[in-house]
Amino acid sequence: MQQLKQAAESNVNTPRITSPKALEDYRASLASKYGHDVPTVIICCGTGCRPSNAVEVAELLEKGLAEADFQGKIVPHVKATGCHGFCSRGPIVELEPQGIFYQKVKPKDVPEIIEKTIKGGELIKHLQYKDASKKVFTHTNEIPFYAKQSRLVLKNIGKINPFDIDDAIATGTYGALAKALSSMTPGQIIEEVKTSFIKGRGGAGFPTGIKWESCASQIGNRYIICNADEGDPGAFMDRSLLEGDPHRILEGMAIAAKAIGSNRGYIYVRLEYPLAIQTLTQAIQQAEAMGLLGDNIMGTGFNFKVSLSMGAGAFVCGESSALMSSLEGKVGRPRPKYIRSVEKGFRDSPSNLNNVETYANIPDIILKGGEWYKSIGTKESTGTKVFSLTGNVHNIGLVEVPMGVPLREIIFDIGGGVPKKRAFKAVQTGGPSGGCIPAQHLDIPVSFESLDQVGSIMGSGGMIVMDENICMVEVARYFTHFLVEESCGQCTPCREGLIRMEEILERITHGEGREEDPDTLEEIGKFVTNFSLCGLGTSAANPVLSTIRHFREEYETHIRHKKCPAGVCKPLYSLKIDEEKCVGCGICKKRCPVNAITGDKKKPHVLEIEKCIKCMECHKNCDFAAVIVL
Amino acid sequence: MKTLKIKIDGKEVTAKPDQTILELATENGIYIPTLCHSPALEPAAMCRLCMVELYEGRRKKFVTACNFPLRRDVEIKTDTPDIRQGRKLIIELLMARCADSPLLQGLAKEYGANVQRFSDLKDDCVMCGLCARVCEKVGGKTLTLSGRGVEIHVNTAFSEASEFCIGCGSCVQICPVNSIVMEDVAGERILKIHGREAARVKLVHCEMCNKHFGPVIDLTKVMSKFDKGAIPPSNANICPDCARIKLAKRIAGRYYDTI
Amino acid sequence: MAGIESKCTEPEIDYNVLNSIIVDRYNQNRENLIMMMQAIQKQYRYLPITALRYLSDKVQVPLIKIFEIATFYASFSLKPKGKNIINICTGTACHLKGTGKMVEHITSKVGIKSGETTPDMLLTMDNVNCVGACAVAPVIVFNEKYYPEADLSVINTLLDQAKSE
Ligand SMILES: Cc1cc2nc3c(=O)[nH]c(=O)nc-3n(C[C@H](O)[C@H](O)[C@H](O)COP(=O)(O)O)c2cc1C
Ligand code: SF4
Ligand code: FES
Ligand code: FES
Ligand code: FES
Repeated sequence: MQQLKQAAESNVNTPRITSPKALEDYRASLASKYGHDVPTVIICCGTGCRPSNAVEVAELLEKGLAEADFQGKIVPHVKATGCHGFCSRGPIVELEPQGIFYQKVKPKDVPEIIEKTIKGGELIKHLQYKDASKKVFTHTNEIPFYAKQSRLVLKNIGKINPFDIDDAIATGTYGALAKALSSMTPGQIIEEVKTSFIKGRGGAGFPTGIKWESCASQIGNRYIICNADEGDPGAFMDRSLLEGDPHRILEGMAIAAKAIGSNRGYIYVRLEYPLAIQTLTQAIQQAEAMGLLGDNIMGTGFNFKVSLSMGAGAFVCGESSALMSSLEGKVGRPRPKYIRSVEKGFRDSPSNLNNVETYANIPDIILKGGEWYKSIGTKESTGTKVFSLTGNVHNIGLVEVPMGVPLREIIFDIGGGVPKKRAFKAVQTGGPSGGCIPAQHLDIPVSFESLDQVGSIMGSGGMIVMDENICMVEVARYFTHFLVEESCGQCTPCREGLIRMEEILERITHGEGREEDPDTLEEIGKFVTNFSLCGLGTSAANPVLSTIRHFREEYETHIRHKKCPAGVCKPLYSLKIDEEKCVGCGICKKRCPVNAITGDKKKPHVLEIEKCIKCMECHKNCDFAAVIVL
Repeated sequence: MKTLKIKIDGKEVTAKPDQTILELATENGIYIPTLCHSPALEPAAMCRLCMVELYEGRRKKFVTACNFPLRRDVEIKTDTPDIRQGRKLIIELLMARCADSPLLQGLAKEYGANVQRFSDLKDDCVMCGLCARVCEKVGGKTLTLSGRGVEIHVNTAFSEASEFCIGCGSCVQICPVNSIVMEDVAGERILKIHGREAARVKLVHCEMCNKHFGPVIDLTKVMSKFDKGAIPPSNANICPDCARIKLAKRIAGRYYDTI
Repeated sequence: MAGIESKCTEPEIDYNVLNSIIVDRYNQNRENLIMMMQAIQKQYRYLPITALRYLSDKVQVPLIKIFEIATFYASFSLKPKGKNIINICTGTACHLKGTGKMVEHITSKVGIKSGETTPDMLLTMDNVNCVGACAVAPVIVFNEKYYPEADLSVINTLLDQAKSE
């Protein structure tokens, strides 16, 4: 991690910015080091790429470049960045200024990259990206996954070193804050945000400008709080922003502070994001040292101090009142009060809570104007939204698109569709508070309103693609179980109702379902929705209600015919090898941990169901779809 | 002061701003069932039994009566089919915890609940949290709701007998399903929760009759809860019975003295 | 009772360390309580009762409140954890890629359920709801190192590694 340390040290000598003009001058002075045409080898060192030895690749690149003989040519420098959003292809290496994209780079590939590509200008085939049809792509901006996105919030991520404030400043960061502090009144800032009509990206979709306005109108010490608790299990938009471009978030918070009249901010990060905690800690230190946060920001007399606070593993702490309690060092149970946190939140004072991505959108709204922002997206849902596209989809990663783009475009054009020629079944949006959307609704545009209409929610941007081998009853059971464990337990409907719903789902997936079960689930589900105390409870039944709404026949197959057509609920299916399809490659035989499969090479194999433990290894690995679920 | 015009179950009434729906209903003789509410404590809105429907313009909301502060002119309905259905489910769910509670049995009858709908959880607590809240307010900060989700339960620190109990008995008094027990045995007061010993407090000997009567109390701590100027009682070490006799004797003595 | 069990194994408490956490790093400020408890847990690999009593005294928060916090947040443990910790991600993306089966596999192989520790104190199995590396699901974390796209053979190797220490 040499690289990262160096960046930290080099900043010790950075100047204190004493006026908005000084920031512009300083930015201009950075162009020679950080400009687009400076030869750079970019390596992603985000949470997704690190496990695949990205840091080692970075170190080897640095060492290799230092030792290589470039015969007087400029030696490119190595830059470790945050998550490029394409972690499934990580570690990712990009060569600038050409824009060459390499994927799945291993430490052993480093010498070849240096010799062939960097010195020789030659491309390395096996490191290039190929789509489902085996077409090869050379440049990042041609790859459909990136080409079809509109990256506004994510634009710096994967381009800058998150540990180096100079890199952020060189791309324009803190320029919007300079504008807000030097030439706008708080009222004008709020007006701009209201005009943009941006709605909160944390889930509820409340218009941010209106929230700011009502917080600004309160009396007392006001607080600016950033919700970086990203609780949706299976989504990582906020993680990527925090790790990859922390200064953009700090800038957004500082602008909010100016608008609302606050001099104190907190970021509540989840403990499970250690790297984000590191980048944020360093970013705050650097920004304070340069006078971009802290006292007398850019010499304008405005003060704003930001601290980090860590969660300790509780999904419900993403809920605003629970988050405030947790920030106060207490148990994170939602507060039983009919009072909004903009009036009485953290320390019983007016508090403005926004999501990470919401703050990250603010700088551009200030620089380019609310009207510009409003021109993107739909009338009711403006701007872009980052989705974390995972599950059974070819290109797994972060996708930023304008609101209003059809689901189909995200999943099939950007995501490359469902792999292994399997059929698409549903897409789950909104995490544990959301729902499953079936194929017939794939053409709806993504927006807060349209997702709501089909029984799901936008949520914070989780999007999980599910193919024919995923059982909807089991998915409902999974989310309900998650919520049973994460419920704070204080109110009766959520605590007792959810456990009974889980009980029923358990019995359906075990083949003991009763005819009346779907109706009972709906009855309890509606009750939990109407009677619970906080947002966790009032949305907890969504996964169950939406799957019953769109996949009722799958519930009925489980209950009446005791069958799980997707081959997930173990007691409800068995496996067989289709003699017609089996070519006798033997992979299933090799994979089976209990030797339940026999057969000679090139002859159809046989599966002995008595021995089979239904681990699905054969099914998963058969390239000829010869293992069938009965 | 400004008053609000509220329509509650068809009746036009007036309310003070920030008055809760429950207070207003009680004032006007309208019954709303509650389980986790005590006028002596901050509402916790945990049981959700007091849920009512609130209408503002065309919007309908479900709100809990015990803690919803009235701020605008609204209409309230306390006994609609949706509300009755929800209350019925709450009772059915809680009956699986405390089937023996007369209070719940009464409610079950009122709302037509199927008392055996859900399998027995073998518990004895409805998780109203009253004991923990009253303990925090008047007691020794002995009880809490530990854990979360289904695992939440009334507990002492580390599930051990607590050294902080002052033996005041508030928790026993307030529990709606009588699941906390307090026994005075051999000079000690024993607090039991879920049948387990939760605290043991020494009792004081009466200076006059030598019987044990109340817990040993740290008087300075108790006095600190009052406003300045509270005087500790002079006969703190005398049981109520003997105190009465002593007083009677004093009065009688004065009487004899004067003749 | 959990309380009694952990008492027997209570480690030696170094009050200088506690002071450096409670006083020096976090100013005895009760708003930092959760972070102090995280630091204490890091030190002892769980939350020893003696340390929590000391903490209660130092920050003037009733012991019962500290206990409440320790039982509410999933990352806190009142029981000592093993020398090695295998953390299986059970977030949605990982669940759909079969981490549920991995948990069952570990249970059947070493006899511990989620949250439990082997009697020889060598291994604890925990579950986490997403570590944000969903794109390389299924993810497991062994002693803070992430293993992307893991399978049963990775788990077997790690279990052997845990045993050999
Ligand atoms: C159970 C629950 C969990 C939540 N988790 C998160 C979260 O992880 N991140 C987040 O930004 N908002 C979360 N929210 C939404 C927040 O309560 C809040 O609406 C949001 O942070 C406000 O910011 P925004 O207006 O910018 O969206 C959650 C809400 C509930 C009810
Ligand atoms: S709805 Fe669930 S999480 Fe929210 S207060 Fe009630 S029990 Fe707690
Ligand atoms: S962490 Fe490297 S692309 Fe996401
Ligand atoms: S009495 Fe109102 S919620 Fe329990
Ligand atoms: S679901 Fe496992 S890392 Fe996100």
